Amino acid sequence: MSLKDSKTPALKKLSDKAEVKRQSVLLIIAAIYVIYGIVFYYLPLVGWLMAFQTYKIKDGLFGSEFVGLKWFKFLFSDATFVRVVRNTLAMGVLNLVSQTVTAIAFAILLSEVRNVLGKKLVQTISYLPHFLSWIVVTSIVHEAFSTSGIINEVLVNLHILSKPISFFSHTQYFWPIVAISNVWKETGWNAIIYLATISSIDPALYEAAAMDGAGRWQKIKHITLPGLRSTIIILLIMNIGNVINAGFEVQYLLGNGLLQSVSQTIDIYVLNYGVGKMNYSIGTAAGLFKTFVSMTLIFLFNFIAKKTGDERLF
Amino acid sequence: MNGKEKKKIHMSGWDWAFVICNTIFLVLFCIVTLYPVLNTLAYSFNDGLDAVKGGIHLLPRKFATDAYKTVFNKQGIRQGAIVTVARTALGSILALIVNALLAFIVSRKRFMFRSSLSLFWVITMYANGGMIPVLLLLKNLGLTNSFWVYIVPGLVSAFNILVLRTYMESLPDSYEESAQLDGAGYMRIFVSIISPLCKPVYATVLLFVAVGHWNSWFDAMLYNRNKPEYTTLQYELQKLLSSVMQQSGSADSAGKTSTSAQVTPVTVRSAATIATMLPIICLYPMLQRYFVTGLTIGGVKE
Amino acid sequence: MKSKKIFALTMACMMGIGAFAGCAKKKDAITNFTMFACMPGKEINDGNKIQEEIAKLTGVRVKESWLTGQTAAEAVGSIVAGGDLPDFIDGGDGSDALYEAGCLVAWDDYLAKPEYSNLKELYTDKEWELFRKADGKIYWANVFNNTYGESKATGHNDEAFWIQVRVLEWANYPKIETLDEYFDLLERYYAENKENADGTKIIPYTCLCEDWRYFCIENAPQFLDGYPNDGSVIVNLTDYDKPTIVDYNTTPTAKKYFAKLNEVYNKGLMDPDFAIQTYDEYMAKLSSGAILGMCDQWWDFAFTVNPNLQASGYDLLGYNYVPLGLTIEKGMTNHWHTYGDTLNSASGCAVTTSCKDPDKAFTFLNRILEQDILNLRFWGIEGEDYLVDENGLFYRTQEMRDNWADSAFTASHVCSYSYMPQWGGTSRDGKNAMSPGEQTSEFFATLADPLVKCFEAYGYTTYGDFLGSPVEEMGFWFPMYSYSNNMSTNTDGGVAWTKMGECKHQWLPTVVMAADFDSAWNDYMDAYKACKPEDFLAEMQTELDRRVELGKSA
Repeated sequence: MSLKDSKTPALKKLSDKAEVKRQSVLLIIAAIYVIYGIVFYYLPLVGWLMAFQTYKIKDGLFGSEFVGLKWFKFLFSDATFVRVVRNTLAMGVLNLVSQTVTAIAFAILLSEVRNVLGKKLVQTISYLPHFLSWIVVTSIVHEAFSTSGIINEVLVNLHILSKPISFFSHTQYFWPIVAISNVWKETGWNAIIYLATISSIDPALYEAAAMDGAGRWQKIKHITLPGLRSTIIILLIMNIGNVINAGFEVQYLLGNGLLQSVSQTIDIYVLNYGVGKMNYSIGTAAGLFKTFVSMTLIFLFNFIAKKTGDERLF
Repeated sequence: MNGKEKKKIHMSGWDWAFVICNTIFLVLFCIVTLYPVLNTLAYSFNDGLDAVKGGIHLLPRKFATDAYKTVFNKQGIRQGAIVTVARTALGSILALIVNALLAFIVSRKRFMFRSSLSLFWVITMYANGGMIPVLLLLKNLGLTNSFWVYIVPGLVSAFNILVLRTYMESLPDSYEESAQLDGAGYMRIFVSIISPLCKPVYATVLLFVAVGHWNSWFDAMLYNRNKPEYTTLQYELQKLLSSVMQQSGSADSAGKTSTSAQVTPVTVRSAATIATMLPIICLYPMLQRYFVTGLTIGGVKE
Repeated sequence: MKSKKIFALTMACMMGIGAFAGCAKKKDAITNFTMFACMPGKEINDGNKIQEEIAKLTGVRVKESWLTGQTAAEAVGSIVAGGDLPDFIDGGDGSDALYEAGCLVAWDDYLAKPEYSNLKELYTDKEWELFRKADGKIYWANVFNNTYGESKATGHNDEAFWIQVRVLEWANYPKIETLDEYFDLLERYYAENKENADGTKIIPYTCLCEDWRYFCIENAPQFLDGYPNDGSVIVNLTDYDKPTIVDYNTTPTAKKYFAKLNEVYNKGLMDPDFAIQTYDEYMAKLSSGAILGMCDQWWDFAFTVNPNLQASGYDLLGYNYVPLGLTIEKGMTNHWHTYGDTLNSASGCAVTTSCKDPDKAFTFLNRILEQDILNLRFWGIEGEDYLVDENGLFYRTQEMRDNWADSAFTASHVCSYSYMPQWGGTSRDGKNAMSPGEQTSEFFATLADPLVKCFEAYGYTTYGDFLGSPVEEMGFWFPMYSYSNNMSTNTDGGVAWTKMGECKHQWLPTVVMAADFDSAWNDYMDAYKACKPEDFLAEMQTELDRRVELGKSA
C-alpha cells in the first residue's frame, strides 16, 4: 500500500541543509542517469525531423528537403489513416481492459490456492504461452476459430449455434478474437507482477481478518485488492499510453482482405505506406502522432489519478 | 497463507464452494493454456512434410527429430548460445542493479527532483526517434560491432523502474526512519535495508530483463551484422527460419535447387520455439522461490 | 553468492568470445569478401567444400548473408546509415536507395575492358542500357533469367490455371482452352467424384487471397486477355511504336472472370474458406490432394506441395498439377509462358564503395562465369555430385539427388553464389544444361508416372508446352512490374498503387462471394475509382514511354 505524504507520520525532520547534504549522493547518481538518458533516449529524437522532410538516405537528416507539415496533412486527409487510428485505439482499449482484468483475477485466484505444489505448477504452466511467437499462436487461433475448429464445435454441440460461423469472414468478430488471443498469450505473464505484489502483503492482515470471521471473498475485497491498488494504477496509467500501440503482428497474421477495414493498425499502415515503399517520412510522422497521443493520454490519466489522491506516475 | 494453523480454521460452505470452483477454473485454465504449447511440441517432433498437411493435435503423427537436428546443426548456433548466455547473465544483473538504484532514488519521498526525474524517464517509454538515428548514435559512440551494444543502450528501462519504485514505495517508512536514526546514509539504506526487502520484485524484474535479453535478435542483426562472433542465439534461429521459409519460394530464387525436403517451416518454427523456451522455463522456478519467500519477508513487525 | 558465480561464468564466456574472434580469418592468401542479399536465404557453413574449390581457382571467398526479419528497404536503410557496407550487395527493392546514397561502384569502366568480357557478355548493349541510372552509369546486373545458348527450360515457373493430372486423365486428356471449359471440366469431374480414395472431401477450386500472394485471384484478367505478365498493367500494342498502358482491373474480361468465379462459388464448387485461408492452410489443402485446380505461380506452391505429394504417394494417384493456358474466348493466343528472358533491371548484383579492391571483386565476378566454375556452382564436383556418360551428358544417381536435397549436406558442400552473375540455358559444351533442374534426362527421371502419361498423351516434353504460348521475344519494356514494384509513396502514382492494392484485397473476395454479382461489382468499381488509378496509370505510361524510347535509341 502506498503511503501518501499527507498521511505518513513524517520522517524525522532534519534540517533542510543536512537533508541536502544527505541527498548529495543521490543527486550525483541521478545526474549520471540523466546524462545517460539524454544520450541514449533524447538525442535520437532529432530523428523526428524526418517527419517534416522528404527524407532521402543520401541527403541525410540535415540535408533532406524540408516540406513542413506535408506528411501530417497527407495522413489526416487520408480516410484510411483515420480508420486505422480508430482500429488501433479500439483494439488497444479492448486489449488493455481484458488483459488487466484477467491478469488480476488470475493472480488473486492463484494466490488463494493453498496447495504449494499445485500453485507452482499452475503458475509455471500459465506463463508458457508468453514464449510462443505470434506466428505460432495465430496459427493455433486461426485453427480454433475456423468453421471446423474447436470453438464452433463446442458452440454447435451446446446448441448455442445452429451451424458453424465463419469467424474470419465477418468484421464484428475480429476485435474480440484479437483480445482473446492476447489474453490467452499474456495472462500468466502479466500476472507475475501482481503475484509478486500480493506476496508482499502482510500475512498478519489476513490472520486478523480471519479472526474477525472474514470469508474468502471479504479478504479478497478488503485486503488483497487494496494491496494491489497502487500496482494496478501504475500499470494502468503506463499502459494507457500504449493503447495506441495495439500491435502489428497479431493483426497482420490474423487479418485478411475481407477484414482489413477493422484489422489494420497504425503500424500496418506505416509498413504499407512508409517502410515498404521507402518513405521514411510518413513512418516518422505516424510515429510522432503516436507519441503525441500516448503522452496526452498519460498526462491526462496521471492528472486524474493525482486529483483523486491515488498513485501517480510522476 | 500456507501456515499450518490455517487448516484448523473452520471452512464455511461458501469457502468450500469457492475452493472447488477455483480449482475447476484453474484446471480448465491450464488445459487451455497448455494446449498450444503441447501442440507446438507435437509439431516439432513431427515429420516436416507430413506436418504441412495439418491436423496434428497433442501427439506427433509421424515421429521425426529432423527439425531439432536442423536447429542444432545450424552453424553459429553454439557461438550464438554463448553470446546469449553471456548477455543474459551480465545484462540482467547489471540492469537490475542500475534500475533498482534509480528506482530507490525516485521512491525517496523527500528527494527533491523526484517527480521531474520520473517524468524524464516516463517520456522515454513513448518517444523514440526511429531506427536510423539510434543506429547513427550507437555507431558514433563506437558501440556497433561490439558486444557492449547489447548491454549499454537498454540498461535503464522506465518500465522496470516504475515496477520497482511502486514496490519500494509500498514498503513502510518505518524501516528508513529507524535506519536514519542510526545515522545511515541513503546508500546504506538502499543496500542493507531496502534491497533485502525487495527480493520478490527484484526476482520479477530480473526475469523480465533476462527474458528480454534471451529473446532479442534484432540488435544483433542491426548492429553486429558483420561480426559473426557476436551473433545471438535468436538471430541464428531467425536466419534459419527465414531460409526455411524460402523453400516455398520467391520469384527470383526460382532457379535455385530447393532445400531439404525433410524439414518445413512449420516444424522448424516449432522446434526453434521449444528449444528457446526450455532454458527460461528452467530458470523460472529458481526465481519463483523468491516470490514465495516474499510471503514471510513481507510480514513486518511494526 | 550465486551472482558471483554467474559473473565469473559471464567473464569466462566473454573471454571465450574474444578467443574465437582472435583466431578467425587470416590463415591463407585467399581474399575474403562479404556479400549481402536483400532476400531471405540460406547461409552456408564456413569451410564449405565447393566454396573452397572455387576459392582455390579464383583466390576469392565470399561470405554471404541474407535478409532476416526486415524488409529490403529497412535493411538497406540501416546498412547505408550505419556505413557498414559489405563488398557485394544485392539491394532488392532497396537498390535505388543504394545508388542514390552513392554506395555503389560503376560497372562501366570494367565493361569496357576485354578482361571482363564474361560480364559484358551477360547482356546485349541494348539490355545494358536498361540498367543505366540517371547519372548515365551502370551499377548492377540482374543475375537471373539469363539464358546462354539454347533454352533448356523444362518447367513453367510462372502463373497458370493448374489442374490435377487425374482430372485430365478422367476426361481422356481433352484440350482445355478457355476459362469456361476449365470450370466445366472441374464441375463434371466433381459431379462424379466427391471424395478421394482416402476419404478426403474434394474441393474443385480454391483461390489464395492472403497478403501479397493475392495475385492468385488478382491478375488473371491480363493473361485471360492474352497478355504476358507485366504484373500490374497490360501493355496494349495496337500501335507497336506507341504502346499504351491499359488497366486490367476494369476490362470486360475482368468482369467476366470475376462473374465466373462468382458463379462457381455460388454453385458450391469453390472452397468456402478461400478468402480467409492462410498460406499454410492453402499448402495443407494442396498437399492433401483435395484441390482439383487453382490459379497460382509454380514457385508459390510446387516446392512445398510436390515433395509432399511424393512423400505420401499421392503423386502416383495423379494429384500433381499441370498448367493450362486459358483465355477468355476460344482461339486467342496467350502469353502465360514467356520464352526468352525476363529482364528485371530494378535490382541486381553490385560492388560497393566499401570494397577495398574493386578490381579484384570484378575479376571474381567475371571469373565465376567461366564454365568450370559454373559447373561447380550448379552441378557440383564431377564424380562426387554428378557423373558423365559416354556422350558427355551429365547425370546424377539417386543418392546424389538425395544429397542435394538434404539441407545439412548442402550447407557444408554446395555453394552456388546464387545472387552473383550466372547463366541458365545450355552449357558452353553445347550438350548439357547449365543446371541439373533444366537437364531433360534429370527432369523426366524425377516425374511420377501419371505425369509422364499425361506428358505423353499430349505429346509434350516440358511444362511450357502445356500452355501453348507462342515463342516470341518480349518487348523491350517487359516486364512493367519491375517499375511498379519499386514505386514509392512519395509520388501520387505510388499512393494510388498502394490504395488500389488495399481496395482489391477487400473487394475481390467480396465480389466473388456476393449473392448479387452486378451490384457488388458496381460498388467495387466505385471504391476502385476513389483510389485514383489514373495517377498510377499515368506514371506507368511515363515509364513505358521512357523504356520504348530507350529501346529505339539503343
